[in-house]
Amino acid sequence: MQVPEERLGTIAPPSVARLSSIGSSGEAPERLGTIAPPGKAEPRAVYVHVPFCRHRCGYCNFTVLAGRDDLAPAYLEAVEREMSWLGQPRPVDTLFVGGGTPTHLEPAQLARLLDRTSHWFPPTGRYEWSVEANPGDLRAEILDTLAAAGVTRLSLGVQSFDDRKLRTLERDHRAEQVLRVLDAARPRFESLSLDLIFAVPGESLDDWQRDLRMAVAAPIDHVSCYGLTFERGTRFWGRRLRGQLAPLAEELELKMYELAIDTLESAEFEHYEVSNFARPGHRCRHNEVYWRGEPYFAVGPGAARYVGGRREVNHRSTTNWLQRVRAGQSPVAESEQLAPEPSARERMVLGLRMRAGVDRDDFQRRTGYELDRLLGEQLPLLVDWGLLADDGRRIRLTRRGLVVSDTIWPRLL
Amino acid sequence: MSGIDCRFIRNFCIIAHIDHGKSTLADRLLEYTGTVAQRQMKEQLLDNMELERARGITIKARAVAMRLTRDGQTYELNLIDTPGHVDFQYEVSRSLACCEGALLLVDAFQGVEAQTMANAYAAMEHELAIIPVINKIDLKQARPDEVTEEMEHSLGIDPADVQRVSAKAGLGIEQLIDAILRRVPPPEGNPDAPLQAMVFDSHYDEYRGAITYVRIMNGRVRKGQRIQFLRGGTTHEVLELGQFVPHQQARTELHAGQVGYLICNIKSLEQVHIGDTVATVGSQVAPLPGYQQPKRMVYCGLYPSDGQDFTELRDALEKLSINDPSFEFVPESSEALGFGFRCGFLGLLHMEIVQQRLEQEADVDLVQTAPNVTYEVVTKRGQTLEIHRPQEVPDAGEIEEFRQPIVRVNFILPTEYIGPVMKLCQERRGVQQGTEYLSPTRAMVTYDLPLAEVIYDLHDKLKSATRGYGTMDYELVGYFPADLVRMDILVNGNRVDALSVICNRGDADRRGRAVVKKLKTEIDRHMFEVAVQAAIGSRVIARETVPAIRKNVTAKCYGGDITRKRKLWAKQREGKKRMKSIGQVDIPQKAFMAVLTTGDER
Repeated sequence: MQVPEERLGTIAPPSVARLSSIGSSGEAPERLGTIAPPGKAEPRAVYVHVPFCRHRCGYCNFTVLAGRDDLAPAYLEAVEREMSWLGQPRPVDTLFVGGGTPTHLEPAQLARLLDRTSHWFPPTGRYEWSVEANPGDLRAEILDTLAAAGVTRLSLGVQSFDDRKLRTLERDHRAEQVLRVLDAARPRFESLSLDLIFAVPGESLDDWQRDLRMAVAAPIDHVSCYGLTFERGTRFWGRRLRGQLAPLAEELELKMYELAIDTLESAEFEHYEVSNFARPGHRCRHNEVYWRGEPYFAVGPGAARYVGGRREVNHRSTTNWLQRVRAGQSPVAESEQLAPEPSARERMVLGLRMRAGVDRDDFQRRTGYELDRLLGEQLPLLVDWGLLADDGRRIRLTRRGLVVSDTIWPRLL
Repeated sequence: MSGIDCRFIRNFCIIAHIDHGKSTLADRLLEYTGTVAQRQMKEQLLDNMELERARGITIKARAVAMRLTRDGQTYELNLIDTPGHVDFQYEVSRSLACCEGALLLVDAFQGVEAQTMANAYAAMEHELAIIPVINKIDLKQARPDEVTEEMEHSLGIDPADVQRVSAKAGLGIEQLIDAILRRVPPPEGNPDAPLQAMVFDSHYDEYRGAITYVRIMNGRVRKGQRIQFLRGGTTHEVLELGQFVPHQQARTELHAGQVGYLICNIKSLEQVHIGDTVATVGSQVAPLPGYQQPKRMVYCGLYPSDGQDFTELRDALEKLSINDPSFEFVPESSEALGFGFRCGFLGLLHMEIVQQRLEQEADVDLVQTAPNVTYEVVTKRGQTLEIHRPQEVPDAGEIEEFRQPIVRVNFILPTEYIGPVMKLCQERRGVQQGTEYLSPTRAMVTYDLPLAEVIYDLHDKLKSATRGYGTMDYELVGYFPADLVRMDILVNGNRVDALSVICNRGDADRRGRAVVKKLKTEIDRHMFEVAVQAAIGSRVIARETVPAIRKNVTAKCYGGDITRKRKLWAKQREGKKRMKSIGQVDIPQKAFMAVLTTGDER
């Protein structure tokens, strides 16, 4: 049998061919210099997960426990124990207490959680401390507890100002409650943020327009807009499969997303990340830690941390997490040490989610990789397709790239 | 103990349709003769490849020697297993040439099937003594009287000769053994004449090389002897010889009438030709009749997936061909798929088996193009070309005659399905050759059909048209002219050579529409619009468009759990790797089979 060996020698997949044309051998791109691997530095951020909720909404797939408030004391003990394993307090610049619904805790329980959190993670300098809250159960007492503990930023799970939409989403609050809560919260915190969900079954472009107008008129500094996604393991997933819930047409969802961008930008909210908008000086610095690929601590069930170049996720089942911490066992369910190249690629993807994009020099300084070599033919291709913009220094998503960005990421990883 | 007189040897095979109980009966015979005390080793000893067990088909023949004593006399019974499938017709014929008798095994409920007929005819042509056996008589639904009648009508079997057994329950085995001893003639052949042995099978042993299965027709073969293959033209020293009992048992000698194996330090099965004749070096004996080169009827392209090595695939194919000389491969290149191989197979089943083995044994990720049969083109200049792939079809202006292989297909089915099956055949340009009633409820329908129509989906269609009760078998009639064209598929204007097919001009529009429709569903949406067209020459006959992705963004803050998301993207990227990129369009492997879509929803 004859094999065309000599011809094989000249044929290579296009990716290799292109790479070699810019000076690489076609093997893994080399790292330059001896820079410390990303994420190896001491974290300056912490996430604390509170799993309790009054009830589980139909679309939610987070680590949540509804109707098990009896577990709160055990949870608090376990959180303290998990924190104490750090050995000594770790000063941080940003804190984020999320859930679940942290404000579902009794005021005394919440006070204790915040106290222990600031003990083990002392906020320093002009720190940012966010807590997620549900407008439905936010009493003045809770707001006072938060403010007294030093919380600077409240993130409200508003989702909509439309009662019909709120019912579809199975939220337990009503629109008028939101407005009252915002007024009460405003004087107590530096930053107020609210989450909005669009593309809810039955929603029209006008409905969404009204939600956006309400948000823009509200006394807030930050908005996160999420298109509703149907996740496996949620009630919505099953209802969609059974044909009881119909997702909106792709074209309408696209219009809603673009409407959000246009409306919020013209109201002086900066679109600084795929789904996040902020008034000047009010970006969520904690989330920026994630997107910059910087390290962070994490405590609680299902909480994800990035310490020492290792990404870990705690057990997602609250009871499982509780048992393990109580027994003095590691609560970690998944753990992964990132090699330099995957870590650099991940940073690229996360960085591109920010509208400012990725700066070539900064990227190389932080990761040790030359961006153009790392991405090879993909970069010119994606620029060619009008999905990425490249000014020679920074790479960023175009508007068109933004709306199809999930199709881009697999190419860059 | 090998020095046994020819008069006390019986060489026979079992011919049966799939699932009629051949392997179980073989086990029972082994047990009865004490060859195997109980079910040692594997469940069914004769099928020793994993794949065969999974499919319940014996692909390759094996031979087992059994000893038994009757009235103080020791007999040697050699059971030669035969493949049942049409793809292996030639191998079957060589196995039959080594036997004097055949057990014709028929299921007491299923009755006579197409494969039973094909193999029974073959056995009769070889003038074997036929022992009709009805199996599974203990089944509640058994209808042995009707099945006997079917055998009488279809094959001219004398009802008085029929043995009724249950291989599973062990009923009637002793009488069957008696019938074998009584009715299968002992082999003829002169142990003192020069050596002549028929190669009827082979397999490859990683440590010992080729194991050659032979039936000694004349003379003797001994350890240390120098032998030659008369057709292959190679000479070897016999390092070991023996019989399977059923494990490999070395002997000092095999003589005329006996069946056994030879080990000669042969490094590749390519040197062992089924049907070849073994003789001593320097001997002037004539080769045994009936030898043929294996004929490949079906071809397809096998290509490494993107990111996989061409040389890895080549090594895997080479390894496989050591074990399966009837499989053939030559390097080819495709604009769309790069470097790969055009592979020839005995038939569609053979192709599937090879492909599965490549994936299971060699862990090679493959892109397979749609199979096609071998065509013949007579050019205006009077040359006859063998066409193994659509790309080889010359320009229309150069073709004098385009010929395709026609096969004669026998269908056996309950009479109420005759109508649907005739419709099926007529839609596929079949020409009816006859209908014969085997019994009041079952009939045999015979059609001449283009082989291309048969290999694509006829078997599946037959099964659904007859609720699983119809069976079919076929044999090649010859090559006949037809109005054939090459249909091309274009993706965003680029002709994808690996998607071209040869089809009848009258079917081209319908098939073209069906194929592009199917491709539209197989090709994921891209960041740009993808046009899929079918064309004959420069004339576009069908078009579909895969719209561009409009929105794909997780506008969801996934907290700090980046790993989960990254894994999802990495998985998508892996999925992309397993596709072939043609002008930036990712085409999944499955799509290369889309051209088999016939567009039957006419």
